Amino acid sequence: MNSKVLVIIPAFNESDNIVHVIENIESSGFACEILVVDDGSCDDTSSVARSCGVGVVRLPFNLGIGGAVQTGFLYAARYGFDIAIQFDGDGQHDAQFFNKLIEPIVADQADVVVGSRFLPPNLGYQSSWIRRIGIHFFSCGRKVIKVFAYDYPLDFPEPESIIEVKKTGARIVEIPVQMKERISGHSSIRYLKTLYYMVKVTFAILLRIIQTKKQVGDHDD
Amino acid sequence: MMIKTLTFFLSIIILFVIIDFSRRGKLTFKYAIGWLCLGVLGILFTVFDQLLFSLSDFCGFALMSNFIFFSLFCFFVFSSLLLSTFLCQQNKRNDIMAQKIALLEKEIKTLKGE
Repeated sequence: MNSKVLVIIPAFNESDNIVHVIENIESSGFACEILVVDDGSCDDTSSVARSCGVGVVRLPFNLGIGGAVQTGFLYAARYGFDIAIQFDGDGQHDAQFFNKLIEPIVADQADVVVGSRFLPPNLGYQSSWIRRIGIHFFSCGRKVIKVFAYDYPLDFPEPESIIEVKKTGARIVEIPVQMKERISGHSSIRYLKTLYYMVKVTFAILLRIIQTKKQVGDHDD
Repeated sequence: MMIKTLTFFLSIIILFVIIDFSRRGKLTFKYAIGWLCLGVLGILFTVFDQLLFSLSDFCGFALMSNFIFFSLFCFFVFSSLLLSTFLCQQNKRNDIMAQKIALLEKEIKTLKGE
């Protein structure tokens, strides 16, 4: 079965990186549709991405990473994609792992596949230990696309989204992937902010755990 | 007597300001109702101040002023919480709207062949 795959690239002021990111996906030869979600960038991220011939959705103002990724899931749900892959716009993810990321979903062994740089063999870029909880590279199937299109965590989407899908009874599989350092620019979470971020994420996760359980399929697109 | 008159007129002014805001569409009924009730209560307690003394005694406050401060504190904490929830709701609606606009814009561009 040939699955319809969407690669969602949330991007905010990534005009320097976006071409490399798109080239990385295209050179992998992986059959997919690429969607760049420009999160209200001040630079020409959208026009640069459009010139590469990929789909671009430009948000009228900055919603944050969660809002941008959710837009991608809304698009995936609207156009009936079987699998959605979240791919960072800063060039840290590597498209050569796409096949490994969708394998468990295609084989119906998982609903979400998380690509982890911390599982052995961990050869690539690792970032600081304190930020590990907040970085992942994942793909998900139809059921989870629907969940995320309806409600994707907006505050700390990466750690919270795992809890959100766990609540729906989705099957989660983790596989080792290799990541790279960002091509240019720097992370917004540095120095003392990492500590503050860790405290906030912990609270957000605890709040997410006690939130009421959501049902899959009780919403339209 | 002076304080009573002052409080009475202050309550009347508050009530009129709220009614005027509602009339000019600056406050919708949903948000004005709480403040209208507060204005009416203010007038009521000024005219029938014995009611306030009885309530204060009933709640176990030694001084009526403490009862008023405590009641106002509770009211403002509650209204702040309520406004925070409205703010979150509006924020979420804004986000959904932005996402829908962005998707529609892409659809229009695709249809136009841009």
